[in-house]
Amino acid sequence: MTDVVTPSEHLPPPQNTWGEWIWKSFFGSVSNTLFTLAFGAFVVWVLSSVAGWMVLDAVWRVEDRDLCGHGAGACWAVIEDRWRLIFFGLYPYEEQWRSSIACLALALTIVLSCVPKFWSVRRLPVLWLAGFSVFVALMRGGFAELTLVTTEQWGGLSLTLFIFASVFLIGMPLAVVFALARRSSFPVIAKGMGVFIDVVRSLPLLAILFSAAVVIPILVPDWLQSSKLARVIVAFAVFFAAYQAEIIRAGLQSLSEGQEEAALSLGMPYWSVILDILMPQAFRNTLPSTINQAVITFKETSIVTVIGFFEIMASGRAVIGTDEWGAQFVEIYVFLGLVYFVFVFGLSRYGAWLEKRMRVGHG
Amino acid sequence: MMKSKLAALAAVAGLSLGAALPAAAQSGDTLTTIQERGSLLCTGHNGSYLGFAEVDDEGAWQGFDIEFCRALATAILGSPDALQIVPISWAQRFPAIQSGDIDVIIKVTGWTQSRDTELGLQYSRPYFIGPFYVMSQTELGASSIADLEGGVFCVNAGTTVERVLADYMEANSIDYEPLSFESAEELRSALYAGRCDAIAGFGPFLASTRVNAPDPEALTIIGDVIQLEPEGIVVREGDDALLDVINWMVSALLMAEQEGITQANVDEIRANPPSPSIERLLGVSPGVGERLGLSDDWAYNVIRTVGNYGEIYDRTVGEGSRYQLPRGLNNLWNNGGLLYPLVLD
Amino acid sequence: MSALLRSKRIQSMAIQGGFVAIFVAIIASLVFTGARNIEAQGIASGFGFLERSTGWPLAFSVIETTPRSTYSEVLLAGLLNTLLVGGLTLVFATILGLCIAFMRISNNLLARLTGTAYVEIFRNVPAILQVVFWYAVLTHLPRPRGAYSVGEVAFFSNRGFVLPAPVLSGLDAIILALGFLALIGAFVFASRLQLTARAKLGAIGAFVVLAVVVWLTGRAPDTPLISVPELAGLRFVGGVTIPPEFLGLLIGLSFFGAAYVGEIIRGGLLSVDTGKLEAGASLGLSPWQINRLIRIPLAFRAMLPALSNQYIWLMKATTLGLVIGFSDFFAVISTSINQSGQTLELIALLMGGFLILNYALGTGMNAINQRLKIKGRS
Repeated sequence: MTDVVTPSEHLPPPQNTWGEWIWKSFFGSVSNTLFTLAFGAFVVWVLSSVAGWMVLDAVWRVEDRDLCGHGAGACWAVIEDRWRLIFFGLYPYEEQWRSSIACLALALTIVLSCVPKFWSVRRLPVLWLAGFSVFVALMRGGFAELTLVTTEQWGGLSLTLFIFASVFLIGMPLAVVFALARRSSFPVIAKGMGVFIDVVRSLPLLAILFSAAVVIPILVPDWLQSSKLARVIVAFAVFFAAYQAEIIRAGLQSLSEGQEEAALSLGMPYWSVILDILMPQAFRNTLPSTINQAVITFKETSIVTVIGFFEIMASGRAVIGTDEWGAQFVEIYVFLGLVYFVFVFGLSRYGAWLEKRMRVGHG
Repeated sequence: MMKSKLAALAAVAGLSLGAALPAAAQSGDTLTTIQERGSLLCTGHNGSYLGFAEVDDEGAWQGFDIEFCRALATAILGSPDALQIVPISWAQRFPAIQSGDIDVIIKVTGWTQSRDTELGLQYSRPYFIGPFYVMSQTELGASSIADLEGGVFCVNAGTTVERVLADYMEANSIDYEPLSFESAEELRSALYAGRCDAIAGFGPFLASTRVNAPDPEALTIIGDVIQLEPEGIVVREGDDALLDVINWMVSALLMAEQEGITQANVDEIRANPPSPSIERLLGVSPGVGERLGLSDDWAYNVIRTVGNYGEIYDRTVGEGSRYQLPRGLNNLWNNGGLLYPLVLD
Repeated sequence: MSALLRSKRIQSMAIQGGFVAIFVAIIASLVFTGARNIEAQGIASGFGFLERSTGWPLAFSVIETTPRSTYSEVLLAGLLNTLLVGGLTLVFATILGLCIAFMRISNNLLARLTGTAYVEIFRNVPAILQVVFWYAVLTHLPRPRGAYSVGEVAFFSNRGFVLPAPVLSGLDAIILALGFLALIGAFVFASRLQLTARAKLGAIGAFVVLAVVVWLTGRAPDTPLISVPELAGLRFVGGVTIPPEFLGLLIGLSFFGAAYVGEIIRGGLLSVDTGKLEAGASLGLSPWQINRLIRIPLAFRAMLPALSNQYIWLMKATTLGLVIGFSDFFAVISTSINQSGQTLELIALLMGGFLILNYALGTGMNAINQRLKIKGRS
């Protein structure tokens, strides 16, 4: 009776062997058995057709491309033929080694900053400064033997990573400022910031980026002009900060007020209390939500494709747009999906691991 | 401690912003701005607009419009590489030029009254004449647009075709279902998949779309011309100096073709010019550049780099390309076309 | 002491006044620079263009539009299109999400694994990619002549899904819509109006009777009760056509949204204290009653804030319609910008439109939240 309402996590731990437990969970009751059989058939059908299409019947090599479209399988030859366009976009062909090294450097920076060992006030900024400098120097060039490659020609995975990392880096300090302003003791500032955050959150990202691309230049004076990429990144960062600020604010609210009062009464200056005592705790408490926000941001970088940037999504679509491979749209989309999946799934698993680690720490 | 972290973060943020070149110039003398900057900001497409601005398999820009960007960069700055192609959608081209993200629009842009006046833009003399046609699925067996009654007609969103088609259909009382796409890629795949019974657009685009189809025989261009559209190069209102350069550059390309000057023989002819006007064109006798604020050999440089009008046409959309478009209206006046050079005195 | 207080207050007012002044100065400088740039470049400005006819047609529109429609009408149509596709997305994402959530907490390992796989796959791929993918799949269905059909009354082709539909005049549709709203209202305020289960049933019955009567009597003479689509020339005539652009956006966003909604619902269900469920069981309630009376209401309250954020997110994601040629609000704005050149004005309308839309959605969800909270305390 109660097995319908009791959540699985509250079941008593399995006392039998694993085999028995699995058997029971599949065929424990009549309804369970029926469900398993019916639904299992469906799942097996889906899995086998996907596996057949993706692997068994697939065409892998460019030499065999004539087979594409005749069999039932995927035509992965398109990836072999055009992977450089997908991964590098408009970046000059001969210089693409620079883009790959830059990409690796940035990816390495992101991975290293996920390692708790690097979470120190000194290491993190040094790491990011180094990673970003290597990235920008390699991508942009214009010194020594490296030819200048302007941002209009950046593309593919490295542009995706660059947008993601820049948005995160600019957005994070902004978010802290937004969050502090929102809980400011001056009502005008707190209310004003509240309205601002709500407004930004209720606008679509695409609309904000589009406006940054086409409207901002008309509104700001000459000396504030900057390239389209810079404008779009800053606008994206403000959008990110509006969401992240609410996460940080929640983190700050979860701390007991006593801490702040105690620190202030010890004579610590306001900024020191915020930066040295409250923020580190708030950040730690909200790490899972922050990672989640990072995951969402990574996926949403794909939206810049609409306003004319050749990041990986647009580069992939450019392959479909050219003559030869127009019919292989599913393969391209699945491949792009896999690339995003690798990054996003990695990030979200990392978030889950952190959450577990923290729970253990507290327990 | 945290402060230093924040400061470092801010520094990194600043660095990443600095990486993204501060470029855009506001209204004013764009020609001078281009010369000071040392590069020309010209239009690309958000994807591939076949034959005119397309991304090849190495990620490089190619096409008729891109060649004109290169020609303009050569005329002003002496090198076709002093050029930044900014990827941009149809809908973004006018805001982008108003805001200074680009210096010129070379993106087969039709000369219409509202654009010329309300948008604060200025057109060069037409550098391409585009008739609008309809291309339908061959299997429908349509021989005129009226045969496609009730069909789905796809167009590029935010282009003149959208309006021209609506006008034509209403004038001829043909019922149809419109469908418009933001990017040429999406439009093409919708057509190839049969989502559209027909697409309407500017002739060369239809032809290149047909050539690129998985099965070109499955598509037929219908003879009815919906409208003839002259395509011009666009600059901001008040950019008279730049507009002069563009007009004379287009003219120089046409004149070179008329006089038989090609990329291959330009040095030879320059060494031994057959007429005074060619002498002026190639900068042998001074004056032709100075009036425009350029060096005297600008036209010579352009022809040496990209060839004459006919060569550009052949290489990108004509006989020498995959698209094999006939010259048609885009031929010189003495070959049955509508194009002619201005008088160089 | 009071002097000190007063000076503190003056100081605080000065700081706040300073902020307001800076804010106003920034806005003023933006407006000033914008106005100057527009004038310098000779761009027309103002909202006068809204009354001009557009000259271009809309591919999909809830209300009727033609190339002669004015910009204001076309923009309204775009907003309604967004509302329609957004509203349906919320409904489908919620239903699918509910299924996923129950699968993920089920006792059956297979159901749990499938639910998990679903969430991981659909949550970890960008929404835009999913929308484009589904659109590509839909446009690669057979052409109208080779359409899949269900009993020759419903057709599935690359022109979308063509389904039979009851024949209704515009007036009938309005009457029915009002009736339906009244019905929804009766249920939302059921407790305040103290409606019994019987009264609720009666309300549904009354609505069904109304619908049938309107349907049977409201038609023009000699028209069939149900319009069945059939292939005539290039297209299907009759019935109702759901175009692939609409479907692609709807399917893509619903599948994507369901992964998130499912996780939110699961979190809500798990947050319900088992003690309360056991208490219910010991009172002799059936599992169904426990779910309906204890678990779902409590879970609903816990997940409402996250759910309302997700709903707003999904509503905003309808702007992806632009990519696949659906005439949503953003796509209409984008085309209008290009055709009229009134960039600033149209962007302002875009922002205003979404602010109103999401403010309304947020306020609605908040109201539900408040009601539940008060009910819980009393």
